[in-house]
Amino acid sequence: MAGSEQVAWRRFAVATPWISTVVRLGLAVVWAWAGLAKISDPAVAAQAVRAYRILPEALVKPVGYGLPFLEVALAVLLVIGLGVRIVAVISAILLLTFIAAIASTWARGIAIDCGCFGGGGAVAASQTQYLQEILRDIGFLLLALWLVVKPRSKASVDAWLAV
Amino acid sequence: MSEKNREGKRTARERMREERAAQQVKDARKKKMIVLGAVLAVLALGAGIGVVVQNNRSTSSTPKAAPAGAIGKKNLVIPDGPANAPSTLTVYEDPRCPACGAFEREFAPTVDQLQDQGKLFGNYHIVSFIDRHDSGKGSKNGANALACAQDSGYFRAYHDVLYRNQPDETVDSWKDKSKLIDLAKQVPGLDSPTFESCVNTNKFGGWVSAVEEDFDKSGYTSTPTVLLNGKPIYPKNGNDEITPDNLVKWVNEANQGKQLGATGSASASPAPTSTAAETDPNQPPASPAP
Repeated sequence: MAGSEQVAWRRFAVATPWISTVVRLGLAVVWAWAGLAKISDPAVAAQAVRAYRILPEALVKPVGYGLPFLEVALAVLLVIGLGVRIVAVISAILLLTFIAAIASTWARGIAIDCGCFGGGGAVAASQTQYLQEILRDIGFLLLALWLVVKPRSKASVDAWLAV
Repeated sequence: MSEKNREGKRTARERMREERAAQQVKDARKKKMIVLGAVLAVLALGAGIGVVVQNNRSTSSTPKAAPAGAIGKKNLVIPDGPANAPSTLTVYEDPRCPACGAFEREFAPTVDQLQDQGKLFGNYHIVSFIDRHDSGKGSKNGANALACAQDSGYFRAYHDVLYRNQPDETVDSWKDKSKLIDLAKQVPGLDSPTFESCVNTNKFGGWVSAVEEDFDKSGYTSTPTVLLNGKPIYPKNGNDEITPDNLVKWVNEANQGKQLGATGSASASPAPTSTAAETDPNQPPASPAP
């Protein structure tokens, strides 16, 4: 019936900012966790990057050292809710890059731990978890894409600024 | 009021409304640009600061202190046996790696013998990456203790004791440095205040990190990686499985017609052979060993 459909639609419209709030904070936890796990040991973070055998040695350290801080910065922006749509777009690009990197490593037959949440580097061929790593990142990607479409959320700087 | 006048008023009001709307769109866009700028600034600044901070925190890949007698570029390799032997055995080993323990228990007597006969020069890369996977300190502490033993002139003997008493990979016994010092008591002459303080203060910690970074860059991804004259021979040399007998055979074949090196036990003194060139092609293997 058209009436109940309308009600459902209105309910969804009311719920959306709340869903976006949960998604925003969820993605913030992911980035904070990923970043903080990698900050403690710069050498391990650099090796995790090197193990992919994609970047030239000159870029291994800048990426290994800078990426965890970038992830933490994304987490901070998501927590305060500043520029959620652009942060979500950047998150999605970053996650797509990670997925592509893991897939390429898998395709080339290199056995590594993705180093997504600390650690990383070579592992025994039987210890790789490429499928799980990619599925997990796709899950995170869906969170980011939700925020690209529905960036308005409660308790955010964006709402306060009314952008 | 004439028709005309009324029309003029309406268009004026409309124009004002349009202008206000346009202004609002402009303001909104300006606000959005400011937010975008702020976001990008935070991210760029964050990553930039990260690179600088981590650069300052990370240890230099050229260690300040290396154990006496270490050879190769940046003194990262521990030599064992005569430097003038015709063949070189390069071994990458992690003290916590069970496959390394198995390799050492099976091959150490043969390798020692070949070295003492002047046939083989051992080059040891003491890797420490298991700590990264299983979390812990045993690899790094063990590697540092091996460097301390080399510094005191007892590398081979301590190395053999260590691998004979290796804990399970997942048991991080050697996070407790006193266990490493206890094992040194099995090597006559090694345990001394100098050795104990070397182990306890992690004297060669920077060297251990540098050796690990060198391994990371080598393209070899597993331990033990064993090369005879630069060619991988573990677990197989071509189609042949490595066994003590095969190792002797391969070394003899490689040495055919060549002058043997100095003979005698190399474990008695550290080999002060910093001029010896290390036979390490530093090239990734065609296919990484499992």
